[in-house]
Amino acid sequence: MVTTMLEVKSLSKDFGGLQVIHDLSLSVTPGERRVILGPNGAGKTTLFHLLAGTLKPSNGEIFLDGQPISTYDAVKRARLGIARSYQKNNLFETLTIRENLMLAAAAALGKSTHMFKDTSKHADIRQRIDEIAEQVFLEDQLDQTVATASYGNRRQLEVGLALATRPKLLLMDEPTSGVGPNMIDRFHRLLEQLPRDITVLIIEHDMDLAFGVADLITVLNFGEKVFEGTPTDTRGNATVRDIYLGTGGDHA
Amino acid sequence: MFYQTKLRSITLIAALIFLACYASFGSYFAREIVVEIIILAILAISLDLCAGFGGMVSLCHGAMMGVAAYGFAIMSAKLGWPLFPSALIGLFAAVVFSGLVGWVTSRTNGIFFIMATLAFGQMAYTFFFKSRWLGGDDGFGGISRFDLSMIGLETNDSLVFTYIGLVILLLAYGLTAIVMRSGFGRTLSGIHVNEDRMKALGVNTAAHRAKAMAFSGFIAGLAGIIAAQHTLYISPELLIWTTSGEALIVVILGGLGTLVGPIIGAILLVLMKHEISNYTDYWHAFIGLVLIFTVLAGGRGVFGQIEYWFNKLTQKHQSTTKPHGDDHA
Repeated sequence: MVTTMLEVKSLSKDFGGLQVIHDLSLSVTPGERRVILGPNGAGKTTLFHLLAGTLKPSNGEIFLDGQPISTYDAVKRARLGIARSYQKNNLFETLTIRENLMLAAAAALGKSTHMFKDTSKHADIRQRIDEIAEQVFLEDQLDQTVATASYGNRRQLEVGLALATRPKLLLMDEPTSGVGPNMIDRFHRLLEQLPRDITVLIIEHDMDLAFGVADLITVLNFGEKVFEGTPTDTRGNATVRDIYLGTGGDHA
Repeated sequence: MFYQTKLRSITLIAALIFLACYASFGSYFAREIVVEIIILAILAISLDLCAGFGGMVSLCHGAMMGVAAYGFAIMSAKLGWPLFPSALIGLFAAVVFSGLVGWVTSRTNGIFFIMATLAFGQMAYTFFFKSRWLGGDDGFGGISRFDLSMIGLETNDSLVFTYIGLVILLLAYGLTAIVMRSGFGRTLSGIHVNEDRMKALGVNTAAHRAKAMAFSGFIAGLAGIIAAQHTLYISPELLIWTTSGEALIVVILGGLGTLVGPIIGAILLVLMKHEISNYTDYWHAFIGLVLIFTVLAGGRGVFGQIEYWFNKLTQKHQSTTKPHGDDHA
């Protein structure tokens, strides 16, 4: 029996002399919501690149659902069930929201290579589009072109594209980056309503949201894990407070 | 993304009826012009699926067409095979050639893709140009047309041949339209818009682009088979890069990424060429001016511009009658 969805063993990444991730180990159980905290430059987004396969690690191993995936490229990892939403919108700008979701659903359902049937008429693709649109609150915006959609809607679609592939592991890089307080409530609801068969890793700067959804919190600083614990433990931890309040590293 | 709209269907049918009438009521020379249009239109549809939908501006489509023509001519005229199997082998050769070019170039974009396809096209051109067995730059003749006498068609009759050409043009359009609406075609559009995100969704974009080139080679190959049977003779001129350039002009003139546009573009280009060359030797200059105007006017092409206006009109109409939620699929 596999009790971990994601297992990271002493992962390191350096760019030349710069060590961005250093000897990082993580273990995430199936269905868990794990929040990754850390100041700018802590290596959070680099960690996501390493997990998604868009960067190659300098050292260490990654296992998804017990399977070693370190040598796989991004396409293969996506097919194994890793999906990612980006900190900066990375959408199909000239297409409609429906078409965006259609592409993701077709890819996930193995229909990207079907040559003869009209994708927009596949019953299972249409169903998936409706389902995801409801999950990310975009039911009424489906026929809008992405380039003309509001920033908030685009952030929702960013998550929707990742969800449409029905991933095992969802990597969300600051889903609320740049959105207002109303929108943050909306994302809070969205995260709470996500099915529990999806394991979620979230990089988040909004503390209410982070502490609200997290089962466990991992704090990174200078590419190393400095703390891991429940939201309550994290709130009371002196190291974490120092990092966030910026008293520097001289407390030790 | 491709949708077979009513406007596109109507324009397609109107164009085919126009060509049929032009051939029926015109002289032998008019039929020659229509066949020239058919060949160019099929080649341009094949290029549109790469350039308009996949963002792959290829300069080896002439070579893709020429490989099919040579494959067909070698098998039938040189090796004495029956005509239909020879045509299939010609098409197969074009698919293999295009798939190979697509596979090698699948990780290049923009100017590098253009240069790489240009190089492959010119390599194929040089190969046939240098081959003594195939007549070098003179090419060779002795090619025959399909024998369709069992269904009562005399293909050596210029009008019958033109009609058959029109049917093949319709088939080429239909097949391309179906594939562009499929998961394969829509994913190709997605790769064009944002290749990185498509990879993150688990699509092997390099393989996808190579397959699109191979399919495009099949369509271009149809034009090659018609070209060889039309003149009963082939030469390396079919493969030269200016043939690809002309197809690109046709696609841009008619409307990139519309599939109907290439047919309109081919009609306009060939008719302009023949009409204006009656008056002046400088017809190239005139076509050049038309092309510059097309590009400066928004780059939508003739059909693309009409479609743009039409959509604007109907959207205005819809917004006054239906408030929202109209399904355009």
